[in-house]
Amino acid sequence: MTKTGLAKTGMIDFRGVNKWFGTLNVLKDITLSVEPREVVVVCGPSGSGKSTLIRCVNGLEAIKDGDLVVDGQRLGDPATNMTQLRTEIGFVFQSFNLYPHKTALENVTLAPIHVRKIPRAEAEKAGRELLAKVGLADKVNAYPAQLSGGQQQRVAIARCLGMRPKIMLFDEPTSALDPEMISEVLDVMVAVAEEGMTMMVVTHEMGFARKVAQRVVFMDAGAIVESGTPEEFFSHPKTDRSRAFLSKILRH
Amino acid sequence: MLENFSFRTIVEYLPLFGQGLITTVWLSALSFVGALIVGIVLCAMNLQRGWLFRVPAKAYIDAVRATPLLAQLYFLYFGLPRLGFVLPELVVGILALSLNSGAYIAEIIRAGILSIPRGQVEASVASGMTYVQRMRLVVLPQAFKVTIPPLLGQGIVLVKDSALLSLISVSELTRAGQLLASDRFMPAEGFLTIAAFYLLLYYGLKGLAGVSSRWLGTAGART
Ligand SMILES: Nc1ncnc2c1ncn2[C@@H]1O[C@H](COP(=O)(O)OP(=O)(O)O)[C@@H](O)[C@H]1O
Ligand SMILES: [Mg+2]
Repeated sequence: MTKTGLAKTGMIDFRGVNKWFGTLNVLKDITLSVEPREVVVVCGPSGSGKSTLIRCVNGLEAIKDGDLVVDGQRLGDPATNMTQLRTEIGFVFQSFNLYPHKTALENVTLAPIHVRKIPRAEAEKAGRELLAKVGLADKVNAYPAQLSGGQQQRVAIARCLGMRPKIMLFDEPTSALDPEMISEVLDVMVAVAEEGMTMMVVTHEMGFARKVAQRVVFMDAGAIVESGTPEEFFSHPKTDRSRAFLSKILRH
Repeated sequence: MLENFSFRTIVEYLPLFGQGLITTVWLSALSFVGALIVGIVLCAMNLQRGWLFRVPAKAYIDAVRATPLLAQLYFLYFGLPRLGFVLPELVVGILALSLNSGAYIAEIIRAGILSIPRGQVEASVASGMTYVQRMRLVVLPQAFKVTIPPLLGQGIVLVKDSALLSLISVSELTRAGQLLASDRFMPAEGFLTIAAFYLLLYYGLKGLAGVSSRWLGTAGART
C-alpha cells in the first residue's frame, strides 16, 4: 500500500494525522488507507479515539496536522467544499439522532429533497423503497418516539442511504441497543456492505467483522496499534494490548 | 367599606374601561409582535461566533434586563424628542414595550435553541445541510415547541407592563382606572375594576398556553 505520493489514493486516506483536545493527543500519527468498496472495522478500548477517528472523515472534528484525503479531496483545503463532500458520506450515530419532529419517511427524504434537490415525489418513492429494504415498510409514517431502538437505527441507516453516499461511517451503531435488537441492525449493515459500500465501522461485533470486514484496526490511546484481517486479529492478536482487549470483550 | 363601594359609578364608567381594555389588548399584541422581531434579531446576533454582533446583542440584553422598564420608558419618552424624533405617546409606548420584551424573548428563544440536543445538529451537518438549512429544517421547528409556553408567559408579563404606559398618558386600561380615581375620588372602584380586567386577560392567555401545550403534546411525538 502506498503511504506517500498521490499516485494511488484510497477512498479515505489518513497520512500522519494528529489531533489534540487541549493537551490530550487523541489521534497520534494515524496512517490508514481505506480502498473503495472496502469495509474496515475499528475497535479498541473506550476513550482510545475511535469516534474521533471517524468523525474526522466527515469533518465533525477538525484535524491538527497531517493529511486526510477523502474521495480525492483534502480536508481543510480551501478548495474542498466540505458541505458538498458530506453529502457523499453517511454517518450513523450510536444514539441514532433521528429528527423527532419528522416521520420515518420524512427523516429519510429531508436531506435528499433539500440538499440533493431531488424532486419530492421521487425522493419519497426512493425513501419508501429504502425503508422497505431495512424492513420498515409498515413504519413509514411512524415518529421516532414510536419506534424501538433497533427500528430507529435502521431508519437512521436508511436516512444515510437516501443520499446515495459513496462512504458510510458507523460509530458503535449497536451499542445503545437491547441485545435482541442488535442482529436486525447488523443484518442491514451486512447488506449495505455486500452491495459494495466503502465503510468504516466502529464496533466490537466480531461476527459482523468476520462476515464482511476486509480489515480490523485496533486502536489504543489514540494510536493504531494493530491492523489485520479479522481472522488474524481475532484468532492471533499480536500485541499484549490487543490480547488484553479481546479477552475482555470475549468474556461477554 | 363595601357600603361605600359604588357599583353604579363603575357601570357608568364601563365604556371608558371597555375602551381602555381594547387599547391594552391591541397595543400589547402589537408590542408582542415587535418584541418577537426584536428578540429573533437579538438572538440571531447573540448566537454568532464572531464578537461583532454577539457583544452588542449581549450588552443590549443585559442593559434592558438590569434597568427598570419605567426608566426605559422615560428614557425614550423624554430622550427621543431631544434627538429630533417627536412621536405620539402610543408609538413611544409600543416601542418601549417591544424593545424591553424583545430582550427577554431573545433569551427565551436562545434557551429553546440551545435545548436541542447536539446530536440533532451533528446529524444535519453530516447530511450536508448548510447552517440556514439545519436551522430552518431541524433546529427551529423543535425549538419552537419548547419556546411557546415561556413566550406566552412573557406575553402575560407584557400585558401587565403595559400599565406603565398610563404614566405617559396613553389611554389604556390603567389610565381608565386612574381617571375614575382622580375625577370622582374613587381609587378603590377604579383600580379594583382594572384589576378584574387584567385578571380576565391573564386567564385568557393562560388558557391559550394550556391549549397550545396540549396541542404540542399530541402533535409530533418527542423522545
Ligand atoms: N469534544 C471533546 N473535547 C475534549 N475531549 C474529548 C472530546 N471528545 C472526546 N474527547 C476525549 O478524547 C478521547 C477519545 O475519545 P473518543 O474518540 O470518543 O474515544 P472512543 O470513541 O474510542 O471511546 C477520550 O479521552 C475523550 O475523553
Ligand atoms: Mg466512541
